[in-house]
Amino acid sequence: MATVKDSGMEALEKLMSTEPPVFLAPSSISEVARAASQYLFTKLKPHNPKSPIDELLVDGYDAEQIYQQIDMQSQPLLSSLRQEVKRFAKNPEEISNFGNLVVKATNEDDVDEMDMDSDDVDDEEGNELEASESEGEEEEEEEEEEKKDGDNEGIEDKFFKIKELEEFLEEGEAEEYGTDYKNNKGVPKRKKHNLSDDEDDEEDGEDDDDEEEDGEFDAFAGADNEEADKLGKARYRDFFGGKKKEPNMKLKNVTEDEETEDEEPERGNQGNEKLSTHEKDRLKLQAKVEQMEKANLDPKHWTMQGEISAAQRPKNSALEVDLDFEHNVRPAPVITEEVTASLEDLIKSRIIEARFDDVQRAPSLPTKAKREVKELDDSKSKKGLAEVYEDEYVQKANPAFAPATFSDELKKEASILFKKLCLKLDALSHFNFTPKPVIEEMSIQTNVPAIAMEEVAPVAVTSEAMLAPEEIFSGKGDIKEETELTQEERKRRRAKKKRKFKAAESAKEPNKKARDATTENPKTGSEEQ
Amino acid sequence: MAESTKMEVETATVTAPLPPKPTFVPLTAHEMSDGKVQFRKLSVPPNRYSPLKKAWLDIYTPIYDQMKIDIRMNLKSRKVELKTRADTPDISNLQRSADFVQAFMLGFDIPDAISLLRIDELYVESFEIKDVKTLKGEHLSRAIGRLSGKGGKTKFAIENSTKTRIVIADTRIHILGAFSNIKVARSSLCSLIMGSPAGKVYSKLRSVTARLNE
Repeated sequence: MATVKDSGMEALEKLMSTEPPVFLAPSSISEVARAASQYLFTKLKPHNPKSPIDELLVDGYDAEQIYQQIDMQSQPLLSSLRQEVKRFAKNPEEISNFGNLVVKATNEDDVDEMDMDSDDVDDEEGNELEASESEGEEEEEEEEEEKKDGDNEGIEDKFFKIKELEEFLEEGEAEEYGTDYKNNKGVPKRKKHNLSDDEDDEEDGEDDDDEEEDGEFDAFAGADNEEADKLGKARYRDFFGGKKKEPNMKLKNVTEDEETEDEEPERGNQGNEKLSTHEKDRLKLQAKVEQMEKANLDPKHWTMQGEISAAQRPKNSALEVDLDFEHNVRPAPVITEEVTASLEDLIKSRIIEARFDDVQRAPSLPTKAKREVKELDDSKSKKGLAEVYEDEYVQKANPAFAPATFSDELKKEASILFKKLCLKLDALSHFNFTPKPVIEEMSIQTNVPAIAMEEVAPVAVTSEAMLAPEEIFSGKGDIKEETELTQEERKRRRAKKKRKFKAAESAKEPNKKARDATTENPKTGSEEQ
Repeated sequence: MAESTKMEVETATVTAPLPPKPTFVPLTAHEMSDGKVQFRKLSVPPNRYSPLKKAWLDIYTPIYDQMKIDIRMNLKSRKVELKTRADTPDISNLQRSADFVQAFMLGFDIPDAISLLRIDELYVESFEIKDVKTLKGEHLSRAIGRLSGKGGKTKFAIENSTKTRIVIADTRIHILGAFSNIKVARSSLCSLIMGSPAGKVYSKLRSVTARLNE
């Protein structure tokens, strides 16, 4: 083993001494590299009880395969190492116990990483290595910092850290009481006081703030070690300073930060105490009240001044204000795509329905009946000229006997056709609807001017007077008035009348008699049961 | 002896009753013409010779039977001769018959020409195209075409609307009808000869006939 160890060490040293470009080309250096990696593997074996392989197998194996073996070993190693480091971070005392061993281990770890990765000639991995190395350094620093905290191994978790809780609490306090959080972090109040005294002469408050902060950071960075020592001994006075120094310091900060601050009595009342919540509220209220009073005293904004003309307000100021006035016209419709689409749909539907809102001419009442319009006949007339004149003469002389004109014949034909059609339709409806049959009387209708048909009678004669005597009275026989009658005649008339009446009564009575025969006793006249 | 100076009053003797008014029977045509027979002779144009032969009986019957005018055709002289009879009722019958036959010779049909026999106030008017407008060659032919129209429809339209009959014989135009109607027909024909289109003539005709028929 010693020889192996020595050879291993030699191999390592040799590797370390070779120039980097040599690694790029395949050469005998690979043998050396394999030997070195084997040595390292066996060295690390005891630290990794879980590794499946006992020895790094290099003979006849590919670079990739060798790397995989190393990776198999190193992965659990790395995680266990991280856990160890965290443990040490929480328990700084153990570091001193391990001390050199730990340092060595970390160094070895770094070297191992470097060597293992150098087997593969890959620039990317080299970069990764560097990154991991820097990460490791950062982790170390952070771990050192975290070691400052007390023994809180038991309750701490990956979610819950006492340190973070303390930081949060301090933040809250700082906000509430107005102290600077950053100052509280680790720098004692004295230090801050020194810084603030140094910068008293400066007038600009904002610059002061920035410089203070910068100064604080520098102080912070530089005083890492100091803090490490002092954190453990942090006391009340470090945070809040001496009872006399604190308020003065505070007041000076206040004046430097807020130049517009005019409040004096607060300081007097304070005395040596910090401002209480009540006082703070009162301060705020008073500030508000002052603001309001100031606004009231100032001249109003032009929009609040009631009636105002253009000369009294700034130029173009009406454009900026949202004025409200009555619009007497409907706002123009915004023509969007939906509007046009809806309109087009309406138009299309109207076209399909053929429901156009066209203006229809009001029908004028016919003043007089339309005369028959004689159409121009293009064909040779069938009648001879004599017949034509004959017809014309007859029409004029004796309208009743005039033969039917062409239009009358057409009308006749049309009426016949229509009757046939109506018959068919009625048959379809099973003759359920039968209108009154039109009995056409043999009345001759002629298309003749009315004046020819009128009765030739004077206007003044009444219709009564125009009646013929038989139309007035239709009767026969010797008609005598009552006064003219003799006694016998009168008797005769009366008897006739009575006879008539009795006849009428007897026509009604048989109905009555038939009904009452069963119930009524004819003698007694009372009903029998 | 000397006449007595006494005025002798002639006593009116009872006059005899006046004789009744004489009633004279109207003179017959024959008597009117003092017993002489009157003739009319009408020459037959060659193009009407065969139609005359065809329609001879239609001409002969009304003239001989109703007008009571003798009629005969002189083949040698190619003339139709008309002569009054003793029992011709009216002197104007002869003239009417002569007009009737003349109308036939001009080219009118028998039923149209008969109207002359039956109705009094019908006349025949003739004129030539060149009276209206001097047209030569193709213009003349086109004018004739315009007058008759396609299939004669323009001519018939005028005939029907104005109650006339029109005969267009080459460049001569004859119109048969009542006086006012002849005037209307003539004006429309003249406008056609002058060159107005048929549609225009139709529209004018329509308005005029509407007025005529009222």
